[in-house]
Amino acid sequence: MTRRLPPGLVWVAPALLVLAALSIYPLLYLIKVSLSDARGFTFEHYTRLFQDRLFTVAAGQTLFYALAALTLEFFLGLALALLVDSLAHGRALVRVSLLAPMLLPPVVAAVIWRLIYNPEFGVLNGMLRQLGFHTANLTWTSGRTSAMLSVILVDVWQWTPFLFLLLTAGLQSIPSEPLEAARVDGAGYWRTLRDVVLPLLKPTILLALLLRAMDLLRIFDQIFILTQGGPGSATETASLYIYRTAFRFSNFGYAAAMSFVGLVITTLAARGLMRLMKIS
Amino acid sequence: MKTILKYSAALLAMAFALAPIYWLITISLKTEIDQFASPPVWFTFTPTLRHYAGIFAHDAFGHYFLNSLIVSTCSTLIALALGLPAAYGLARFRWPGDWSRGISFWILSNRMLPPIVTIIPMFLMLREIHLLNSLAGLILVDVGLNLPFVVWMMRGFVEDLPREIEEAALLDGESRLGVLLLIVLPLVRPGLAATAVFCLIVAWNEFLFALILSQTQSAMTLPVGIASHVTQYEIQWGAMSAAGVVAILPVLIFASAAQRYFVRGLSLGAIK
Repeated sequence: MTRRLPPGLVWVAPALLVLAALSIYPLLYLIKVSLSDARGFTFEHYTRLFQDRLFTVAAGQTLFYALAALTLEFFLGLALALLVDSLAHGRALVRVSLLAPMLLPPVVAAVIWRLIYNPEFGVLNGMLRQLGFHTANLTWTSGRTSAMLSVILVDVWQWTPFLFLLLTAGLQSIPSEPLEAARVDGAGYWRTLRDVVLPLLKPTILLALLLRAMDLLRIFDQIFILTQGGPGSATETASLYIYRTAFRFSNFGYAAAMSFVGLVITTLAARGLMRLMKIS
Repeated sequence: MKTILKYSAALLAMAFALAPIYWLITISLKTEIDQFASPPVWFTFTPTLRHYAGIFAHDAFGHYFLNSLIVSTCSTLIALALGLPAAYGLARFRWPGDWSRGISFWILSNRMLPPIVTIIPMFLMLREIHLLNSLAGLILVDVGLNLPFVVWMMRGFVEDLPREIEEAALLDGESRLGVLLLIVLPLVRPGLAATAVFCLIVAWNEFLFALILSQTQSAMTLPVGIASHVTQYEIQWGAMSAAGVVAILPVLIFASAAQRYFVRGLSLGAIK
């Protein structure tokens, strides 16, 4: 009965209590809110979810945004990491410059691109005009299809550095022996890349994709500043829709149900990815 | 030939990364005429500090700046004060079975919670205890954001230290707390500083929680203040860009101090 608690617990307990108060308790509270309305217990918020076309649209757009941005950021980040790694001079300078966008507050990054995208006075259309293009129809963030592409471009600008950084670190931790061996065997650059470098880089690649994907699925800041989800709902993502439902229309129950379902889906997806990482 | 191609590609990438930031800075230094000039003016304009003087003369802006400073500093200090002992406890005590790993992973999983999930209950809870529109509520939330990160990072740094010195001190009758403060703390100082820098940046840049939890002008942080002006005063490019530059500066200063630890910090210690 008197089995002693592990002695380290005293040291960890304060942090655990604070975190529990800031995560477990709110989570339970969230579930409670999602299951109640003015009259008491209800399951209505969850059934409504499956008939809400706006939610489906927002979820689909979140997925599209995340996949498009992740693909672009990964390939660009990998290409840049390999490129900079192979430079003879100035690697440190190039690396620091490439990392800069990632450090900015997302709000400021979005402000910068609002100035750039402005159809009338923005520098983007200004340069295009200089090159002789007609820019009257290039409205960037206010066109229905161009808005989505514009917000994705901002994401690519700000977060390709993140993949670049992790992949660079991965490249640097590859031991030199297998590379030497490949060279001795007469393997060319692309053979070495495919058969030696990329397999060794795989754990880093999966980790980087996982971390970035988790952030992409919750995207809010930049879109909120750039388009507020518009025009119409062309760039509405799950986080924005939940935000609007809760804090514009004060429908906390429904917003809670949506965020709980979103949490379950992303947790399962992350679990799946993590399992994939362990196998490899 | 191949070398030239490589360097041009690298230069192009650098230009794409830096030009937007450079553009923001130039707009903040231009008069309206130069801001809206067509074709755009990149280099040849007479700089003015008018927009900076303008925003600092505006009371609200000083508030935003101060609030951001208070929130990020306090939340970082609290997260470090709670996180370092926890990290030490996890790294240096005997735990039954898989406890240490299990607790660490649970702590880290808190970091994975999307803010939009916790913000609804947080808002309702803080409203009940009248902590909305107060810096205290925001500090609390930012502690939750940074604490998992502190524990995860610092556990790695403590584990990297050789145990011998600590064990010798314990044999000499030093208490655990003494060991932590007198031996471990000085040795992990670089790592602790880097961790603090990342916490400061996260709290400084944080937007969604601040947007919802501090809606009065006296409690707004810088990102929220900037956001509210973007949508209200679309045309004031000078003020907007000057505010943006002021919001960027601390981050760049913090970051240059912790460059060496970038990878470890940003991958949550998963790649050392």
